[in-house]
Amino acid sequence: MKNSMWNLKLSTSALVLIPAAVGINYIGKLFAGLLKLPLWLDSIGTVLSAMLAGPVVGAICGAINNIIYGLTMDPISFIYALTSIGIGLAVGVLAQKGRVNSIGGAVVVGLVAAVVSTLISTPINIGFWGGQTGNVWGDLVYAGMVAHHFPVWIASLTDEFIVDVPDKIATVIVAYGIYKGLPQKLTILFRHDSVTEQL
Amino acid sequence: MKKITVSGLKYRYPLTEELALKGLSFEIEKGEFIGIIGQNLSGKSTLCQALMGLVPHFYKGGYGGSVWVDGLEVGKAEIHEIAQKVGLVFQNPFTQVSGSKMTVFEELAFGLENLGVAREDMAPRIEHAMELLGIGRFRDRNPFDLSGGQMQRMAIASVIAMEPEIIVLDEPTSQLDPQGAEDVFQAIEALSRRGMTVIMAEHKIEKIARYSDRVLLLHQGEMVAFDTPQQVFSRDDLERYGVVPPVFAQVCKGMGIRNPATGLYPMTLDEACDQVVNWHE
Amino acid sequence: MKALSLYQDRGTVVHRVDSRSKLLYILSAILIPAVLPGFMPGLAMLALSILILATGKVFGKVLPLVGFSLLILASIVLIQGLFYSGNKQLLFSLWRFGFYREGLLFSGGICLRVMNILCAVSILVLTTRPSDLIESLVRLGLSPHLGYVLSSVLQIIPQMTATMETITDAQRSRGMETEGTLLVRMKAFLPLIGPVVMNSLVSTRERSLALEVRAFSARSKKTFLNPPQGGTANTVIPLVLLLAMAAAIVWRVMQ
Repeated sequence: MKNSMWNLKLSTSALVLIPAAVGINYIGKLFAGLLKLPLWLDSIGTVLSAMLAGPVVGAICGAINNIIYGLTMDPISFIYALTSIGIGLAVGVLAQKGRVNSIGGAVVVGLVAAVVSTLISTPINIGFWGGQTGNVWGDLVYAGMVAHHFPVWIASLTDEFIVDVPDKIATVIVAYGIYKGLPQKLTILFRHDSVTEQL
Repeated sequence: MKKITVSGLKYRYPLTEELALKGLSFEIEKGEFIGIIGQNLSGKSTLCQALMGLVPHFYKGGYGGSVWVDGLEVGKAEIHEIAQKVGLVFQNPFTQVSGSKMTVFEELAFGLENLGVAREDMAPRIEHAMELLGIGRFRDRNPFDLSGGQMQRMAIASVIAMEPEIIVLDEPTSQLDPQGAEDVFQAIEALSRRGMTVIMAEHKIEKIARYSDRVLLLHQGEMVAFDTPQQVFSRDDLERYGVVPPVFAQVCKGMGIRNPATGLYPMTLDEACDQVVNWHE
Repeated sequence: MKALSLYQDRGTVVHRVDSRSKLLYILSAILIPAVLPGFMPGLAMLALSILILATGKVFGKVLPLVGFSLLILASIVLIQGLFYSGNKQLLFSLWRFGFYREGLLFSGGICLRVMNILCAVSILVLTTRPSDLIESLVRLGLSPHLGYVLSSVLQIIPQMTATMETITDAQRSRGMETEGTLLVRMKAFLPLIGPVVMNSLVSTRERSLALEVRAFSARSKKTFLNPPQGGTANTVIPLVLLLAMAAAIVWRVMQ
């Protein structure tokens, strides 16, 4: 179990990766806002850390990301830590199984991340906000569906999903692009299977 | 007393074929100042990190031979055990800041907290280290608000607070401005005068010539020479190893001024002065 | 360099209360109104939080925090007031839209709950130095490694933002378009964030090495430079909060 991707004892490199990844989440969000893109792009770092160091680091990165947001900007973020953890786990498992090996693979993984994110966020949205997401386009769809007597959970699921799909696919593609550009002598530091060989 | 014994040290980084260190053997005495010179990629950094155990424990890869530091076998010990015997300072002052502390004083405490040093013992150790490196007046500043030279002295102080007996510096001034570099060199010299064993890899050959008791010349992972600066810099084949001898050695060589006692060229201004005066008499 | 933080150094009584008490207060502010029926417990809790914030001289700083959620709360009142599935009793009409009592009460409950949590969390984040909070979490049993990660994030984000500003200016002066059609703006995204992202990832190697040198992986029990916060208040407050939560639960079960 020592070298498995579920090893909970993190190396120093993996731990140092987490603050960098949370910082990347932050500037992704900042620049998506600055360029007025209709996406959040606030989980690029979480996805990258999951690709580099596996599901455990991805999940911790997601959790810490939302804890820090909660402490410094928007206290409501705390609750959505669960969603970020889910995204980190899902991408981490798929990446370790070698699924993020092309743009096509990145799109599929992005779609999976969107499904995971929607499944976790929707109950929180319903419990906390009565089902809305706070995204204008998503909420318009929600209002329309509720007005036409769809059950709240279907309206809420749709609201979250149509926002998540393009966002998570774009996020995984960007992360994949960055990952491809990293030198191998760096990426190997985050792997779990390295051992010292006797010469 | 032997402080460091290296025998047959070989190392290969992961994903590479060629050895970065090809079977080094040497010994270092307590209190010596050792300069490590050589071109880029000659193995200077790798050797520095091997004395601390980062090679092989951090990188993995292939490792052979042995490094003994003060009775501890580096290849079999853990990095945090070695950290209490050897302190290592890197090139880039910025990435050496722990990045989790708000003041210089707290930054110096970081290593002590990790080692589990009792609270009442921390302050005296930190005060002492700050005083040695002349950074006491920055104690309440944020580490990232310091200049490069100040930050590098803080990095050295952070290591010194952990009370190692050996300090290894890997090109500690290569990213500093001239004044910052000078301050750092003076601090290192002060540590050496207090009896600490100092090992410094450095491109600034004048400094190596001035401070070193012995100089270790590396080339493509092999040890070419390990001798006094006078011996090493008087070699005729230095150019082949990409090493430019100190300017005074070059001048004296050009003028044929040797120390009559040893037959070697002078290395520093003082030494050159003495020889020139003698030569004229 | 300022660390990322909402902390306001006002030196009041509230500031001297330790993080453990404030964390327990957040738990109480969520739990007690959730356990007890009706609007009254929630309103009482909110009033208490506002009183504490005022004592801490940080009430003015709550508004920007609440601002994040205000817009979405307004849209909830609007949408639920109009379309809530249980809507029966028409309260008033604006133009041709009817607002219903049930929907407004439902959304009112959501607003109260959100405001309650926001204010309770604000007490913690506005009157506690982040480094103190993290240190007390580590004392309470959080892994020191995770404590390091949390503190490090607070320092790394302002640094990366500062670097980003430099890069944005540089890219703009080189003629990169950051305005225009969606496609133009999307194309600008990667070149803008790319260099900083790469650099921050590459420097993780050197920082890891530097941490190792400082015995970061040592397994011996970690010690702390600063003494723990003590005082009678820091023993009494957690006790009172725990009793209050227990009482609320007991009352509910007895009903």
